[in-house]
Amino acid sequence: MMANIALGILNSLPTAIEGTNRLIVDIAMFFGLLVIVAMALNFQYGNAGIPNMGCAVQVIIGAFTVSALTTRLCFIILEGAGVKLLPWASDYDWVYDMTFNVATTNGFLKNNAMLGISLFLFSMAVALVLGAIIGYLISLPAVRLRATYLMIVLITMADASQIFGRNIPSISGGTLGMFIPSLFKWYPGDSGVICAVITLLLGLISFFIFRTMLNSPYGRLMRSIRENEVTVGSVGKNVVGIRRNVLMFASGVTAIAGVMNAVYTSFVIEAAYQRAYWTYWPWLMLILGGPGNNAGTFLGCALIVALRRLIIVYKFTIQSLFFFPISYLEDIILGALLCVIMIFRPNGLIPEKLLYIPGVNYSNIVQEDVKIDWRSAPKARAGKGGGLLGGKKKEESKEEK
Amino acid sequence: MLIPVIWLNALVYASELTLLSIGFTLTYLTAKIPNFAHGTYAGVGIYVSFTFSRILKISPYLGFPLAFILGGIISVIIYILVINVLTKMGGGVIVLTIATLAIQIFLSAMINIYAYWARAAFIEYSTSFLLKADDFEWLGFPGIFPVAIGISVMAVIVLHFLLTRTKIGVAMRATSEDSELASVLGININQIQLFSWFLTGGLACLAGAMIPMWFMSSPTTGAAIITSIMAGSLLGGFESIYGAIIGGFAVGLSEVLLTYAGTSLIGTWVGEYRPLVPMIFLVAVLLVEPRGLQGAYERIIAPRRTKQPSEKAVPEEEKKE
Repeated sequence: MMANIALGILNSLPTAIEGTNRLIVDIAMFFGLLVIVAMALNFQYGNAGIPNMGCAVQVIIGAFTVSALTTRLCFIILEGAGVKLLPWASDYDWVYDMTFNVATTNGFLKNNAMLGISLFLFSMAVALVLGAIIGYLISLPAVRLRATYLMIVLITMADASQIFGRNIPSISGGTLGMFIPSLFKWYPGDSGVICAVITLLLGLISFFIFRTMLNSPYGRLMRSIRENEVTVGSVGKNVVGIRRNVLMFASGVTAIAGVMNAVYTSFVIEAAYQRAYWTYWPWLMLILGGPGNNAGTFLGCALIVALRRLIIVYKFTIQSLFFFPISYLEDIILGALLCVIMIFRPNGLIPEKLLYIPGVNYSNIVQEDVKIDWRSAPKARAGKGGGLLGGKKKEESKEEK
Repeated sequence: MLIPVIWLNALVYASELTLLSIGFTLTYLTAKIPNFAHGTYAGVGIYVSFTFSRILKISPYLGFPLAFILGGIISVIIYILVINVLTKMGGGVIVLTIATLAIQIFLSAMINIYAYWARAAFIEYSTSFLLKADDFEWLGFPGIFPVAIGISVMAVIVLHFLLTRTKIGVAMRATSEDSELASVLGININQIQLFSWFLTGGLACLAGAMIPMWFMSSPTTGAAIITSIMAGSLLGGFESIYGAIIGGFAVGLSEVLLTYAGTSLIGTWVGEYRPLVPMIFLVAVLLVEPRGLQGAYERIIAPRRTKQPSEKAVPEEEKKE
C-alpha cells in the first residue's frame, strides 16, 4: 500500500486516488489545514496568552477572499483574454451563471499554469493582508477589554460574519454557496493531491516560522508577557504593541488555511465555516496536545483528525450501536473530552518545555525540575482584573475609588 | 386585541430575556465567569414544555415547576462536576470559560438527541415546533402574555427581597464581593455557590419553558439566544442584578422592535440581520461604557445623590468636572 501511495503522490494518476488513497489524501489535507489553525492558536494563546475565540472569523476571511476577490479577478482576466463568459456583474447573474462561468474558466486554466499559480499566490497574499487587518481590528477593542469580554465579542463576530455571508450573495453566493475556479487545474494528475501537499508544506513552513519566532528573543518576550505583563511593562517593553503584532501575524496565517480549504473543495458556502468546526475543534487540539508546545499541537491535531475521520469512515458500523445520529456523538466527544482533559491532564499530552536559547545550557543554571503551569498565568491576570491587552485599565482604578 | 402583536412579541421576549440575563449576571457575580452554557439551560426548558404538551398531552404550564427544578439540578451537577473541580485545581478565568463552552456543546448535543429520540419514539415533530395551540386565553390576550410578565416581575421582586432581606441573600452578596473575606466571617462558600448555581439554572430553564408558548423553537434556539443574554447582561454592567433587569428588558424590546421597524421602513431583507442587534449592543456598550448602565450610574447619578448638603451650593464649574 505504501508503494501505491508514493506512486500516487508522485504521478497522482486518477486510478491511484480512490478508496483508501482518497481517504489518506483527505486526512492529510485536513491535518494540514487544522494544524495551521491550531499552531496559530498556540502562538496566540499558548505563548502570548491571548484567548482568541475567533479563529472561525479569520478562516472565513480567507475563504471569502477566494470567492469574492480571486474569482472576480479571474473573470476580468479571462474577459480581457477574449474568453466569452455569461454576464456575472449583478447578484442574480453572479449566483446563477456561476457554474457555467467556472466550467469555462477551468477549461482556460487547464492550459494556463502561470495564471493558476499567480491567482493562487494572489489569494494567499490578499488573505494574509486581510487576516492581518482583522487581527488589527480585533486588537483595537482588546486593548481596553478584559479577556472574557474579548472572548464574547469574538464568538459573536464569528456568527456575524456567517450572517453577512448568508445574506450578501455577491460574497459567496448566499445560502446556495458557489463554485470557485479550480486553481490547480493545470496539474496533470489529481488536483486534490497537490493541494494536500501544498497545505502540508505550508503547515511545515509555518511550524518552522513559529518555532524560530518562539526561540528568538521576541518569543521569550511573548512568554514573559503571558507570565506577568506588569513586570514586562515595567522594564520598558511595549506590551500592547507586542500583543497586537502577535494577533495580526497569527490572524494572517489562519486566513491562509481558509484559502486552502476553499481551493481544495472548489466550493465556498458560509455554512461550512461554523464556529464549532473552526474554533472549538482547534481549541480541543491545542488543549489535548498541551498549550505552549508546537509538538503537542501536532500530536493533538493528528489524534483528533484521525478520530473524526475514523468516525466518518466506520459510520455505519458505529451507527448500529447508537439510536441517535452520530453527528451528535462527535459533539458529545468534543465537549466531554475538553472537560476531561482540563481536569485530568491540565498540561496536555506533552507538557510545555523551557525555551531553547542558543549557547545557554539550562542544566547548569536550573538545578531542580522546573514545572511550568500555563493555567496560572491567565488566572493571575484575571484575578487582578487586568485587561487582556494593555495591563491596567482605567475602569479598575475607578472601582477602587 | 388592544395591543398590536408586535408589542406582544416584544414584551414576552423581553420578559424572558430579563429572567435569563438575571441568571447570567448572578453566575458572573458569584463565580466570576461568563457561563456560555446559560442559553442551553433555556433549551432544556423548551423541551420540558414540549414533553408536557406533546408527549404527556397536558398543559405545558404544569411543567414550569419541573423546569425550574430540572434546570437547577443540571446547573448544580455542572458546578459540582466541572466548575468546582477546575476552580480548586487553580484554573483561571479563561480555562473556566472554555469549560462552560464545552458544557454548552455537550448539553446541546444531549438536547438534540432527546429531540431525535422523541421524534422516533412518539412520532411527534420535535425539531421545530410551536405550542401556541395549548395556550389559554385571558381577557382576550394569549395566556403567555400575563404569565411571562408576571413570572419575571415576581422573580425580580423575590430576588430583591432575597438579596436584601434574607440571611442567605446577604451571604450571597458578601461572597460575590470577596469570597475569602466572606469565608472568614463563617459563611459556607460552597453552599452559597450551590444555591446560586441552582437559582441561575432554574431561572434560565423556567424562561426557556416559556419560549415555545409564543416563539418557534428548535434544539438550537437555546444556544442561539446566548448573544442576546450576554448583550443584556453587559448593558446592565455584569456586576449588578438591577442593571441586568433593565439591560435584559431593553435588549429584548429593541431586538424585536428595531427589527420590525427596519423591515417596515427599509425592506424585508433587514429581518435577516436580527441577530446583529444584540451584537451591535455588545460592541457599542464595550466601546462607550465598558461597565454598562451600572458604570454610567456610578459615574453620573450616584455622586450627585450622595453629595453632602454643604456641597449642594457648589457652583456649576465644579459639577462639570
